[in-house]
Amino acid sequence: MSVAPSKTSRAGLMLLQFGLCVVILLPFFWMVSVSLKPASEPFAIPARLWPQNPTLENYVTAFRPEFRTYFVNSVVVSLSTVVITVTLALFAAYSFTRTQMRAISVLMLLVIVAQMFPASAIIIPIYKMMKAANLLNTYASLILAYVTVTLPVAIWMLRGFLARLPVALEEAAAIDGAGPFKIFFLIILPLCKPGIVATAVFVLIVTWQEFLFALSFTSTKDMRTLPVGMNDFIGQYGIRYGELMASSVLISVPVIAIFFLLQRQFVAGLTAGAVKG
Amino acid sequence: MLKRDRWLTWIFVTPAVLLVAVMMYYPMIGTVIESLYSTSFINPTPKFVGLAVYQKIFGSADFGQIVWNSCVWTLAVVALQNVFGFLSALLLNQKLPGQGLMRSLILLPWVLPGVVAAILWRFMYDPQLGLINSFLISAGFGDQGLAWLADSSTAMAAAVIAAVWKGFPFCTIVYLAALQNVEEEQMEAARIDGAGAIRRLWHIVLPSMKEVIVINFILTTILTFNYFDMIWVLTRGGPQNATHIFPTKIYELGFGQFRFGEAAGYGVVSIVILALLITLYFLAQGSGRKAAS
Repeated sequence: MSVAPSKTSRAGLMLLQFGLCVVILLPFFWMVSVSLKPASEPFAIPARLWPQNPTLENYVTAFRPEFRTYFVNSVVVSLSTVVITVTLALFAAYSFTRTQMRAISVLMLLVIVAQMFPASAIIIPIYKMMKAANLLNTYASLILAYVTVTLPVAIWMLRGFLARLPVALEEAAAIDGAGPFKIFFLIILPLCKPGIVATAVFVLIVTWQEFLFALSFTSTKDMRTLPVGMNDFIGQYGIRYGELMASSVLISVPVIAIFFLLQRQFVAGLTAGAVKG
Repeated sequence: MLKRDRWLTWIFVTPAVLLVAVMMYYPMIGTVIESLYSTSFINPTPKFVGLAVYQKIFGSADFGQIVWNSCVWTLAVVALQNVFGFLSALLLNQKLPGQGLMRSLILLPWVLPGVVAAILWRFMYDPQLGLINSFLISAGFGDQGLAWLADSSTAMAAAVIAAVWKGFPFCTIVYLAALQNVEEEQMEAARIDGAGAIRRLWHIVLPSMKEVIVINFILTTILTFNYFDMIWVLTRGGPQNATHIFPTKIYELGFGQFRFGEAAGYGVVSIVILALLITLYFLAQGSGRKAAS
């Protein structure tokens, strides 16, 4: 449904659209502006929207060695999670959409329902399991936790794509003598590439910002991820807002860039699951 | 995968099922068991206490406050997020210049990492340096900034606003996609029959979007009820418990005070509340369907 509005209502709508734009962008604008202000300037009262003497000094200080460690940790954990989650989810979703076996359907529904579990409600037993397995303060503990919590949503998203691929393609390939693995890798995989991209971006956005598990499972600076490291910054240095905002920009740029690059496919994938159920 | 490849079907689903069973269902049961034992910083060896933990939780003054806070937080954030999401989706569905750009920009807050959003809003609310107070002062509302997050009468509202800003774009995108599925012919027919915008919205657009709206309400309720980052970074549950919700209380009890039993007890209660909310939604949806048919 879309309507071509009349001239007067059009002006009103444009005004509303501008208002929406301001609401969305003003905090971002301020974040970037403060990150470019020299150390003394954020303390000017009342706050100025525009930096008087823009400088990159905050970015230089923000990029301290700890920050680089957090960055590397976040990259390692997020990328591993994306690869493992998408692979496992693809296998599971494929089986799920192609089977008529009741047992499999029931199992998959149980997996998908798990996305409703509150992480905070199960974090204590998981923490104890990690402790018993000697995994606390390792990449493995975070990757394992992140794969588990993103898997149900990833399966749910991919299911939408796989269900739309006609089985006849696979049957034809089987008649030509292709085995199930050949069918999976040469036919299914290329066809659901948009779904894979959308799911990967979603998993990346979720993992890049995960806070609760990272806060509970890591205890030393060399294992912290960016969100936890950021939170530590607040207490440690008093609040040095210029630096804090510069770090915020540095953390946000990678996901925002990836999101913009792959936006079309991402939004299509996200809404395919939600809108078509 | 064809019917003859039964064994492969099982192999493909096993890793996912195993992982979720071991890392989510097993700990879920673990939480219930954990809540029957008592530990503390001084007494780290678990001691079986039966339902004593629940007696303690229900009897404490904090409990009522946390249930109340969680309800206010969840209802306010979910309602505002969905209303704003729906209205902005209606707006972005009109044919206006600059629309393509707006549709890309709108998801920005949702993509912004949660901790960054929380720190940014903490800064916005800063009594001296914050943008909000600066605007209010220069607009003539008093000459002294309010400490929004440090005042127990405004802290929750401030947290809700920040969470709505972060979350409503997701609703916008979902509702925008649903709006584009509304049938053009039906709308055209209604327009010819003289139905105004409000009536078309009420009789055609909303009914055709009902399922999406219900699914989205359920989804945002779960996410909001479990949303830890925003409140933890903004207020840590303070001042005086004014913004503590289940996830922040559980974290504080468990990892701040090593009272694992009580933390697990709160965990079990939160699972029960969430399950109730979701059941209510499904029941509402079911009766809505019956009424429609």
